[in-house]
Amino acid sequence: MESGKMAPPKNAPRDALVMAQILKDMGITEYEPRVINQMLEFAFRYVTTILDDAKIYSSHAKKPNVDADDVRLAIQCRADQSFTSPPPRDFLLDIARQKNQTPLPLIKPYAGPRLPPDRYCLTAPNYRLKSLIKKGPNQGRLVPRLSVGAVSSRPSTPTVVPATTAVQNVLINPSIIGPKNILITNMVSSQNMPNESNPLKRKHEDDDDNDTM
Amino acid sequence: KVGSVAVEDQPDVSAVLSAYNQQGDPTMYEEYYSGLKHFIECSLDCHRAELSQLFYPLFVHMYLELVYNQHENEAKSFFEKFHGDQECYYQDDLRVLSSLTKKEHMKGNETMLDFRTSKFVLRISRDSYQLLKRHLQEKQNNQIWNIVQEHLYIDIFDGMPRSKQQIDAMVGSLAGEAKREANKSKVFFGLLKEPEIEVPLDDEDEEGENEEGKPKKKKPKKDSIGSKSKKQDPNAPPQNRIPLPELKDSDKLDKIMNMKETTKRVRLGPDCLPSICFYTFLNAYQGLTAVDVTDDVTDDSSLIAGGFADSTVRVWSVTPKKLRSVKQAADLSLIDKESDDVLERIMDEKTASELKILYGHSGPVYGASFSPDRNYLLSSSEDGTVRLWSLQTFTCLVGYKGHNYPVWDTQFSPYGYYFVSGGHDRVARLWATDHYQPLRIFAGHLADVNCTRFHPNSNYVATGSADRTVRLWDVLNGNCVRIFTGHKGPIHSLTFSPNGRFLATGATDGRVLLWDIGHGLMVGELKGHTDTVCSLRFSRDGEILASGSMDNTVRLWDAVKAFEDLETDDFTTATGHINLPENSQELLLGTYMTKSTPVVHLHFTRRNLVLAAGAYSP
Repeated sequence: MESGKMAPPKNAPRDALVMAQILKDMGITEYEPRVINQMLEFAFRYVTTILDDAKIYSSHAKKPNVDADDVRLAIQCRADQSFTSPPPRDFLLDIARQKNQTPLPLIKPYAGPRLPPDRYCLTAPNYRLKSLIKKGPNQGRLVPRLSVGAVSSRPSTPTVVPATTAVQNVLINPSIIGPKNILITNMVSSQNMPNESNPLKRKHEDDDDNDTM
Repeated sequence: KVGSVAVEDQPDVSAVLSAYNQQGDPTMYEEYYSGLKHFIECSLDCHRAELSQLFYPLFVHMYLELVYNQHENEAKSFFEKFHGDQECYYQDDLRVLSSLTKKEHMKGNETMLDFRTSKFVLRISRDSYQLLKRHLQEKQNNQIWNIVQEHLYIDIFDGMPRSKQQIDAMVGSLAGEAKREANKSKVFFGLLKEPEIEVPLDDEDEEGENEEGKPKKKKPKKDSIGSKSKKQDPNAPPQNRIPLPELKDSDKLDKIMNMKETTKRVRLGPDCLPSICFYTFLNAYQGLTAVDVTDDVTDDSSLIAGGFADSTVRVWSVTPKKLRSVKQAADLSLIDKESDDVLERIMDEKTASELKILYGHSGPVYGASFSPDRNYLLSSSEDGTVRLWSLQTFTCLVGYKGHNYPVWDTQFSPYGYYFVSGGHDRVARLWATDHYQPLRIFAGHLADVNCTRFHPNSNYVATGSADRTVRLWDVLNGNCVRIFTGHKGPIHSLTFSPNGRFLATGATDGRVLLWDIGHGLMVGELKGHTDTVCSLRFSRDGEILASGSMDNTVRLWDAVKAFEDLETDDFTTATGHINLPENSQELLLGTYMTKSTPVVHLHFTRRNLVLAAGAYSP
């Protein structure tokens, strides 16, 4: 995977040679060979998307053929969706002027870790334990919405264990859930009864869990 | 005259573009340009250099006008004929321009739009200007005169016309040079006073700068930045100009340690060069995109963070002391809070390891910065967010969303609490860790903001951009107080000198430029690198400047010599004329080559040992 390299061999397809020429014209002299393939794939996908859109517009306008106007319209619409560019300068200057008028807020003393309100932090658990004690065929289904990196996050100051709806007794119907899920539910229930399981074991389970998810 | 355009409430691209209404006969453009070229080439030597500055902006504006009005063929032939005449440092821009052949292309290209709407600034002496004006106001050249009035801003000064060399040093940015008044406002470049701390009396008690020593012991006063009785440095900002976090006990301990370390610091100079300790990242496969190194409490620095293209941030400990995370809440409630070593006990030994990997970003991580109190790490990524990580639990605390485009750089303020980030959306934002929205938005650059740094007194932020300018912004009100032009390529590294007076910048053109902030002038140019200068750092007392580059070398420069004998008489400051001595060779103290490893980061420890980092890329 070295940087830099030669142009594609002479018997490469014409498209590849054209792409290499484009790269050369834009001043890019060093690139890995697979860049040409990626650029060609992108070009193909982009062009087919635009032409498809153009066909739709032209048939909507009840024209017999696709013409340049349709293509132009298709490009414009797609540009707003996928290739958004940063806001224009005067807009930025405007919002900057607004934002910069408010004076800098004073800093509260002795505030511990200075973080935004909890709503804007990533420190709360982002899953909710659903009670299983419920009528109906959905017994035994858990909804752990785990996401990477947030499972066992706690701020550095010792906090109260989040007072979620505590699941006191998780009923497990072994016939529905596989063995792995039993592990999960054990772990999960023990999180609400912290004094019961070994913290290290729990952490290990977490990591294990993330691997399979 | 340009037709009037109804401008709508929302910034409308077409309203802006339509300033390019048809000005003249398209086929005559080549003649107009050739005519001007001929006039300038026949003018007196002393004026020619100054008037030649007109070529580039005129060329671009005339070309864009042709394209906008859909005279594709004329545009192409105009380009073909004249693009070779332009200066070599504009070649990159011209290449981009050559790909804009239709009106539709212009709409998507933000940089070109900005170029058009902002006036290109030229600095010309009064004599040359009179000459030009007289020539252009003749009937047949009215066209060009219109364009000049519309799109160029000519900053006239009285005095000698500048030589080609002087002009070349200052031009190169996308918007021309800086107007004189842009660099006139007062900048408080002095340092804030150090708070007074009682130094505990122990045997190695030597005086640092501003302390109350223990009573009854006469300490030798050092003749430096200030004891209690000295009056306020006129160049330093008032202490409460911007709100700063107060010192906590741990910060005070840090400062005491800092002062002790300062006494053990090696004095550097041309005959005493620092040792360089290089940390090489192996097997990174060009995935290393950001590095930061922090100071530790004792001895030399101890944590290195690397941001990678695989969206992870990895933190290493480079001393034998391993990284531990805080125990879980359950265990924390069990420990004795009154014990002396409570700070040790809260750490969970079982999680000790040399490396911690932080997951959370969804794009390559381009910027990393440790907080001064070593509790937090910031990382900025291509996904548009800046994330705050806790170095005690090694988890992510906050994601700051504001840029919706890749964020190229971020840095904590030297006092903590504030941080600045700059990205592809051409603005830099100032944040505080406890606000989820930015406090200040620094808008004004014409292209991506590549690099953002705080001034040592935390009142100013410098940003280096792909539009080849460096701007200095005031944190208090968001104004741009300095614009420095002169680089010929996008700027990738910035550093302030420890005394706050100077700024060093490095760009893809391989040069390091030195700027005097107070006067707003370029004071030095260090040539030597052959590729992008991607890291810069001054030594702790400002005697040596270290620069690391993509050409796999670290170079050390004599900063003391570079900054002495500055000409700062009135003429220079009024007109910005500079005469840079060609002394790069004398200032170069050493070149240290690495083995195929671009030097991504440089750091001076408290004892003036250089730490450098880079990824091995054969």
